[in-house]
Amino acid sequence: MYKELNMTSTDICRRSFLRHGFGGLGMIALNSLLSPKAFAQSMTSKGVVNPLHHAAKAKRVIFLYQAGGPSHLETFDFKPQLAKLDGKPMPESLTKGQQIAQLQGKDLVCFGPQHKFRRFGKNGELICELFPQIGGIVDDLCIVRSMTTEQINHDPAHTIMNTGSIIPGRPSMGSWLLYGLGAEAENLPGFVVLVSSGKGGQMQPIAARQWSAGLLPSRFQGVKFNSIGDPVLYINNPPGVNQKLQQRSIEAVNALNRIEYGTLKDPEILTRVAQYELAFKMQASVPDLVDVSKEPKSVLEMYGANPGDGSYASNCLLARKLAERGVRFIQLYHRDWDHHNNVKGNMEFKAQETDRATAALITDLKQRGMLEDTLVIWGGEFGRTPMSQGGDGRDHHIKGFTYLMAGGGIKPGISYGSTDDFGYAAAENVVTVHDFHATMLHVLGIDHKRLSVKYQGLDARLTGISGDVVRDILV
Amino acid sequence: MSVIRVSLLALCFSCLAQSAPVSFNRDIRPIMADTCFRCHGPDKGSRMSGLRLDLREEAVRPSRNGKAPIVPGKPEESEIIGRIFATGAGKMPPDFAHKTLTDSQKQTIRRWVAEGAPYEGHWAYQPIRRPEIPGAGNPVDAFIDARLARDGLRALPEADRRTLLRRASFDLIGLPPTPEELAAFENDKAPDAWAKVVERLLISPHYAEKQAMHWLDAVRYADSTGFHGDNLWPAWPYRDYVLRAIRDNKPFDEFTREQLAGDLLPNGTLDAKIASAYNRMNRYSAEGGLQPKEYLAKYGADRVRTLSTAFLGSSMGCAECHDHKFDPFTSKDFYSMKAFFADIKETGLMPDRGESAFGSKLLLYRPGEKEKLDALTARAEAAKKDLDSAAKKLMAADPGWEKGVMEERERGALAWVWQKPVSAKSANGSVLKIYEDEQIDSAFYAAGSLKFERKRGDGLVVASGPVPDNDTYTVQIRPGDGAWTAIGVDLKQDESLPGARLARGADRFVLSEVEVDLNGQRLPLVLATANKAGEQVDGAAMAAIDGDLKTGWSGGLAEARNYMLALRFGQKIHTSADSVITIRLRQESVIRRAVIGRFRIALSGATYSWPELGDGKKQFDARKDDGPQATLNTDVDKGVAPEVPDALKVAADKRDEKQQKALLEFFEFYRPELQEALIRWTRADLEKTLLFWSIPRVVTTEATEPAVTRILPRADWMNETTEIVQPAIPAFLGKLDTGGRRATRLDLANWLVSKDNPLTARAYVNRVWREFFGIGLSKSLDDLGSQGEAPVHPELLDWLAFDFREHWDMKQLVRTIVMSKAYRRSSMSSPELDEKDPDNRLIARQSRFRVEAETVHDIALSVSGLLVDRFGGPPAKPVTPQGYLLAMNFPKRDYSESRGDDLYRRAVYTQWQRTFLHPELLNFDAPTREECTVNRVNSNTPLQALDLLNDPIFVEAARVFAQRAIKSGGKNPVDWAFREAEDRAPTVEEHKVLQGLYTDSLKQFRADRKGAEALLSVGESTHAGASAELAALTAVTRAILNLHETITRN
Repeated sequence: MYKELNMTSTDICRRSFLRHGFGGLGMIALNSLLSPKAFAQSMTSKGVVNPLHHAAKAKRVIFLYQAGGPSHLETFDFKPQLAKLDGKPMPESLTKGQQIAQLQGKDLVCFGPQHKFRRFGKNGELICELFPQIGGIVDDLCIVRSMTTEQINHDPAHTIMNTGSIIPGRPSMGSWLLYGLGAEAENLPGFVVLVSSGKGGQMQPIAARQWSAGLLPSRFQGVKFNSIGDPVLYINNPPGVNQKLQQRSIEAVNALNRIEYGTLKDPEILTRVAQYELAFKMQASVPDLVDVSKEPKSVLEMYGANPGDGSYASNCLLARKLAERGVRFIQLYHRDWDHHNNVKGNMEFKAQETDRATAALITDLKQRGMLEDTLVIWGGEFGRTPMSQGGDGRDHHIKGFTYLMAGGGIKPGISYGSTDDFGYAAAENVVTVHDFHATMLHVLGIDHKRLSVKYQGLDARLTGISGDVVRDILV
Repeated sequence: MSVIRVSLLALCFSCLAQSAPVSFNRDIRPIMADTCFRCHGPDKGSRMSGLRLDLREEAVRPSRNGKAPIVPGKPEESEIIGRIFATGAGKMPPDFAHKTLTDSQKQTIRRWVAEGAPYEGHWAYQPIRRPEIPGAGNPVDAFIDARLARDGLRALPEADRRTLLRRASFDLIGLPPTPEELAAFENDKAPDAWAKVVERLLISPHYAEKQAMHWLDAVRYADSTGFHGDNLWPAWPYRDYVLRAIRDNKPFDEFTREQLAGDLLPNGTLDAKIASAYNRMNRYSAEGGLQPKEYLAKYGADRVRTLSTAFLGSSMGCAECHDHKFDPFTSKDFYSMKAFFADIKETGLMPDRGESAFGSKLLLYRPGEKEKLDALTARAEAAKKDLDSAAKKLMAADPGWEKGVMEERERGALAWVWQKPVSAKSANGSVLKIYEDEQIDSAFYAAGSLKFERKRGDGLVVASGPVPDNDTYTVQIRPGDGAWTAIGVDLKQDESLPGARLARGADRFVLSEVEVDLNGQRLPLVLATANKAGEQVDGAAMAAIDGDLKTGWSGGLAEARNYMLALRFGQKIHTSADSVITIRLRQESVIRRAVIGRFRIALSGATYSWPELGDGKKQFDARKDDGPQATLNTDVDKGVAPEVPDALKVAADKRDEKQQKALLEFFEFYRPELQEALIRWTRADLEKTLLFWSIPRVVTTEATEPAVTRILPRADWMNETTEIVQPAIPAFLGKLDTGGRRATRLDLANWLVSKDNPLTARAYVNRVWREFFGIGLSKSLDDLGSQGEAPVHPELLDWLAFDFREHWDMKQLVRTIVMSKAYRRSSMSSPELDEKDPDNRLIARQSRFRVEAETVHDIALSVSGLLVDRFGGPPAKPVTPQGYLLAMNFPKRDYSESRGDDLYRRAVYTQWQRTFLHPELLNFDAPTREECTVNRVNSNTPLQALDLLNDPIFVEAARVFAQRAIKSGGKNPVDWAFREAEDRAPTVEEHKVLQGLYTDSLKQFRADRKGAEALLSVGESTHAGASAELAALTAVTRAILNLHETITRN
């Protein structure tokens, strides 16, 4: 047999157990599989962190990933000083020797915030007035204004933000969570990816690497749900095959596989049987699940979702449904935050597309009592320069930008960290990508230093060899 | 055997019988590597208390407090023994390390110290010596049987012949045996029957198609660049080189030298130069705004990681930032290795379009092609020279032209006149709608941002509905009274169009041929000119009027802008009120769905209007909403090349080269006197261009002056102050003797395959072993270092490695393995083996595992009869769901599957798109090849079930399989099909299940003829007509293709 990995002592993926689909849909005891009925009742699974390293505050994550690099300066990080210096050269003391992307060799000129900010919430947090709905729930949010990353171009910046490494082949954070915590969802993948786009900006590519299981088995990979064609690849029956015939065919396959098991007693065969049963159940449940048209009108309204439009708003609503069904990690990508040009106008588009739905999701989760154990994250692969690009845009920026966190285990109604007066560098309470990952794992009950897989002789971790939990923002 | 012994064995094969002395390598190093070396190992950066346990002289030296960590022979005086048995403060390893020692590990360490604490060098770094073979016969068996005897395990008998033949066929050629092949083997009673089977499989070209996949994983061969736009690049001739090398059993040392340094070999062959593409298989980025030095650092580091894993079985990756924590690789070693590759000519931002795309390339001319291309090039250049000199002469004689053209432009005399089509029809089912007064939404890029607009159509034709692979749009216009010199086709970009925002699919549009009739009479078109967007590889505008449907005007890589084509009539035409001009846009490309989505038709009566609408920004800002058929009253719409007005503002003697060139080009187009020379040149140029782009090419390695290589602490590429290093192998493995000359990639290659290097042969043999037993002799294929697993059969590994290094004979290594009794054992386990050797490390039996992703695909195609057997060639694109690539960009694109045979090739040929690998490959655990991979995982998931059940390729395979069963299966096609797939007859019970499925399906399809037709219409391969019987049998063959047994190597 091809051994899956050189796993550590925590490896429970032994041949004498059954290996399962999504996120180890389970380590199901062998005998429960012999009876299909027993199997049907035990679809969930445990991960390798069992028991948890410490009590968990969150059970799942919804990551609202704003791909392209949203400007912190037109969202959540107000810089009046930058406004005053608009058009003046940036101090060289700040920028000298620092990485720079498209502004290489250009004059670096201050570019003030392009939209007004207003005070929201009990602490009077300053938030761009384009985002009044998010402003309206600011008392549920933790605003982290001191995020940093290492990679200044989209592709590697996405890679490190998702996997903690710039070298491809490391598991993405959702895969780590599935590996660590297992899955709770019945008939659904434990890690789902949704993608939307809107107006303005350059629609930068994203890569499947961002939800790859990397060196972990493929059952831990993120499964992309599509708004065009099959909602999940190959989820629909072939033409001419109705549900009855599909079921009949799978029964035949499984009957034959069980006969083979009778001869060979190879537990891998029973795993195969289980995967076919699960596949059939997914076929029955996924199309129904992704159809948000049956949601009450008031809910659709709240999110601003038009069923079937594949929009960010529809995806936020779908994320809530997935969370309800126990999906461990739900990642929504909203593309085209890459505003090298016309950051002012493009920000208006982004606000129209995301403000209401983001706030609605958090509010909806709260109303359903799910925000307590759901960690919601908002942010992209980097921020944008306080310097102008071409007079109306902003370039990529890695020294300081903003993330929002809410729910499971995170203090609500606070802000953490800050950038300097220019919004250039994180000045106070710097949070690195690894710190962010460590904190995320922490609220889920995982010590990031202890969730590892042996790879090339080393203990590969989501947080590489660094990362500190940001304790000040924990409940 | 004692109970203790059994459980120890089950836990850890390196554990030893009580009587044998403790071995450092086998027993102690793995424990220390896991628990001690992180803080007390080679990395000085993280060493604590100055204590180092990986070197004996350090470990026995008394520390500051006078106590020695290890006092050989005296555990009670040894600090580490006290510490590991301690419970409170001072306990080792400490709590924060989250590592614990078991009691038996502690006892083993104590015994080792008591026995004098002998150290051994790490096994993998010791010279390979040929071990004594402990018996007669195949050395593999001698070593394995000796070990089994020592452990008191009984080997299982040989598997039955069916299992054997299937095993060998899957392992060696990646295809199942036919029932005929099985019958021949079963009936062959000769003692060399097995040897004959093995030889047959080893000489099959299919052998290479199976074996290459592992090497291609290691060298991360892929058909796309991997970063950001992840565009396709010409790498497949390198893949074919690997296939040929394996097929022809090229000695591994030559194989190594050619790949690393084929360009440096004296009298190197073309093959060797192709092989040197090995050095270029790293990912490349063309992302705007990247910092070139950063990416050069990434490319170099990638090469070191790949070389160390693929050839040395070692992970040097961490030494990019710091000395290796557990193994003796230093940061200096890492950068010294990187320096070997510093001579590779490349840029940080690697262009991914145009002639300079992907840097150094090698054109692979077919016989006579080079001479032909040279001749065509010379002809085109001469024609261009004639044209240029005539133009310059005319220009000099007529200085007033500058003023004249600007006046014409201001007057609008050069402007295109937009036409409102009276009809627009599709030949293949597209819905063409003409928007005139009606409002239409559009979304287009202008100045880097996506703009939205809702405005009246003004004659815009929009295609919607079904998306055919090919189409002909027939458009009619009634221009009214007028005289015309040219007709224009303006393609409008729109975000709704997946093919580069221009086509309804694919990654580009292709206009094969444009035909124009006036009142039913064909009008000759003499010149086709595209605006500058149309400069893509096969995009010569003249191809749209060359009378050849196989060539065409195409575009897509000059993104986010409109493309326009101007077609000049042979002579001025005159129209009156009832004249009808018919335009046929024929789109017959082999690239499916490269059909255009939005376009306008225009006429020009001027001599001559440039096909230019400028960029979208100007268009968007300046366009006015005038009446129908009105010219668009903006600067850019006035029919001159956009550079012209600006260039003319500059005094003639002050114009730079670019401006002069733009003016000349426009002038040549604009002046009727030059038309003949212009046509002569464009025709010659077309011929040259078409030939040039039809020549296969491959990225290659070109050596240049080596760049300076520095040690970059923490991989900080911005640091320019650190130590400069020269190419060198890792210091602890020796030193290259080059007599002071800078060492080259060829020196590196020579060292890799020299007797001085103990790693390459061990790493290779260990990996090959896994292919035939499912797990390596050391299971850590990617790490033979201290953190990896010591081999279970160290002498066997060394014997194989030694023998391999003697001859570098790749096939002989495989032959030795598969000829062994060990390979031929049954895979049935026994309670005894399950208990004592659950992971089958001692090989008392064979292993059982699902075949690799490629083989899953190939089995279905082979069993069904769909497989197209052709060796090598450009990447094949099997069917993939539409929309699969839509998260990509630059260009925006959709997948366009191959035609005909290429739909049914072996999966080793499938186009390897790194950021979105073909879903079938991804689902069955094929690596993306973004990074060197030597250890594919093997999982079992519901997505695999969905894929085998519902992926159209498997549905089509089932249908074709059923067609064959009906034809050949006689009275019992169900059993016949089962036998074809499994090489055995179904049991009574199995027959009942399959027959039951057939009966039920038949009943259903008889009641649902449409369903039967729908199922049977999946796929493009030859149909045998639709019937309920065939559909029902397809349900059965589909079930067979889904069986665990079908995709499992036993």
